[in-house]
Amino acid sequence: MTPARRTSPRIVLVHTVTFRQARQLVPVLIPALAGFGFGGGTTTIVALAVGITLLSLAGAGLSWWRFSYADGPGAVVVTRGLLARAVRTVPNDRIRGVEIETPVLHRALGLVRVRIDAAAGAAGEDEEVVVDGVPRAEGDRLRSAVLTHRGAPVPAAEDDVPPAEEELFRWDNRWLLYAPLVGSYLALPAAGVGALSRLVEDLPGHPLEDLLDLDLPPGWVLVAGAVAGTLLLLVAGSVIGAALVNWGFHLVRRGGSLVAVRGLLTRRHTELEIDRIRGVSVSEGVGMRLVGAGRATALVTGLADAERRGQLLPLGPRGQAWELAHRLVEDPGPLTGHPPAARRRRVVRAVVPGALLVVGGVALGLRLGHWELLVAGLVVAGLGVLLGRSLYGALGHTAGPGR
Amino acid sequence: MTTTAPVREPAWDLPRAAIRLWTAEGAISTTLLWVGIGTFLLLVPASAGGPFPVLRWALPVAGLLHAAVVVGVRPRLKHRVYRWEITAETAYTRTGWLTQTWTLVPISRIQTVDVTRGVLQQMFGLATVAVLTASSQGTVRIWHLEHGTAQRVADDLARRAELVRDQAT
Repeated sequence: MTPARRTSPRIVLVHTVTFRQARQLVPVLIPALAGFGFGGGTTTIVALAVGITLLSLAGAGLSWWRFSYADGPGAVVVTRGLLARAVRTVPNDRIRGVEIETPVLHRALGLVRVRIDAAAGAAGEDEEVVVDGVPRAEGDRLRSAVLTHRGAPVPAAEDDVPPAEEELFRWDNRWLLYAPLVGSYLALPAAGVGALSRLVEDLPGHPLEDLLDLDLPPGWVLVAGAVAGTLLLLVAGSVIGAALVNWGFHLVRRGGSLVAVRGLLTRRHTELEIDRIRGVSVSEGVGMRLVGAGRATALVTGLADAERRGQLLPLGPRGQAWELAHRLVEDPGPLTGHPPAARRRRVVRAVVPGALLVVGGVALGLRLGHWELLVAGLVVAGLGVLLGRSLYGALGHTAGPGR
Repeated sequence: MTTTAPVREPAWDLPRAAIRLWTAEGAISTTLLWVGIGTFLLLVPASAGGPFPVLRWALPVAGLLHAAVVVGVRPRLKHRVYRWEITAETAYTRTGWLTQTWTLVPISRIQTVDVTRGVLQQMFGLATVAVLTASSQGTVRIWHLEHGTAQRVADDLARRAELVRDQAT
């Protein structure tokens, strides 16, 4: 067994600044503070800030002191815990992938965080081994050490690409413009806009009028302005969000592994074994189809956080997504349509709500003489037929040549 | 044990120190319980109406019973039930005292092996080995082994798991 190694002491600084350990104390501290009251003036606040920082420093220092790791020929062993000690052993063969993260502060100090995915599924336990705060070179050494258990040595990764690598995909920043059409990138800015509008509503009086002291333009201008502003916020938010996550994404094949690098502020370096990839999924949402965009994700068994780590192409032209998918998994050829029974099922299911409305509309019309509901029901049923047929049109299957 | 056990019982029992540890745990929980009972007896006046006169003697009686069970009976009972074994293919345990659970984990399915030593366990020189699988239900815990044994078991399991290439779990 190789001797136990320690993370870099510089990580204590990072954890002190980010209150990594002290954060856990927040639920305890708040009631305690409320008990003492926030009486005093600046002195109290300064004392409080100093106290919490010292506490954070002590927590970071202790957890650094009590943490060590060792990568032996057969397994990775991590020891941690302040009073209760825990030793975790992960056999190298069970490691699904290694991810190297570099948040901004880590980067400033030349450190990285290595996550080793052990795919232990026990609920409520942190499932992976995290070695937080090793120098960059040591992170690369650790990554290649735990992934070399099956022969072929992995060359150390540097930013200049060694010739043994094959680049599968490189991100183009123009594709950020697809982001506003993708639901998942819109969710966060949409929530932000919602919160903002509620805040404006909750402010007493008419804050806009009071603040700007101007005569409000007529109603429709105001509405149009609000709509345009909201749209602008949504677009900007989604583009910025997509840029933060996907900046500089590129995917290379290095020996038996796929390596994906991405991220603007936090750089992520994810490594997957190609042997573990069981399939590929390409998805094209409604908005993405309008502009011919798509995304490709690898299906990997037992990969924690597979949604993110399995991403092969986060956002890009659909042609590229399919090409990438077919390079990893053999193209099974054109899909066979489903039998007519599938169409009947789709159409019947899509027509049911409209049919219910029609029944209700007939009843309402006969009793009260209002026929509007019947008309609405007919329209919904008609749209249902179209919806059912289009859902059926998207179905298809094929069995590939097999492995 | 009953003769209708689903499988033969695991071969090895826990060290005697486990009894002392469980007794200590029982003593701690008894102390906490009696602090609660004492507070109740002090704060609730004897003249209070409702269910309180009954509670004033029922609670101490329940407390005494609890103490007798968790300190006097449960540690020995647990020591008799808790057994473990590592065979060629499986890690195998039986745990529980009122409800007993048999757990088998094939060595080929092991993902991670943890050795944990709680504060109390360290005082008695004991450790717990947890064998984690990719299933959310499949964690086997071998409680309260001597620390050296636990370390050996963990190393052995990890080494043997490494030798078996896992099948796509």
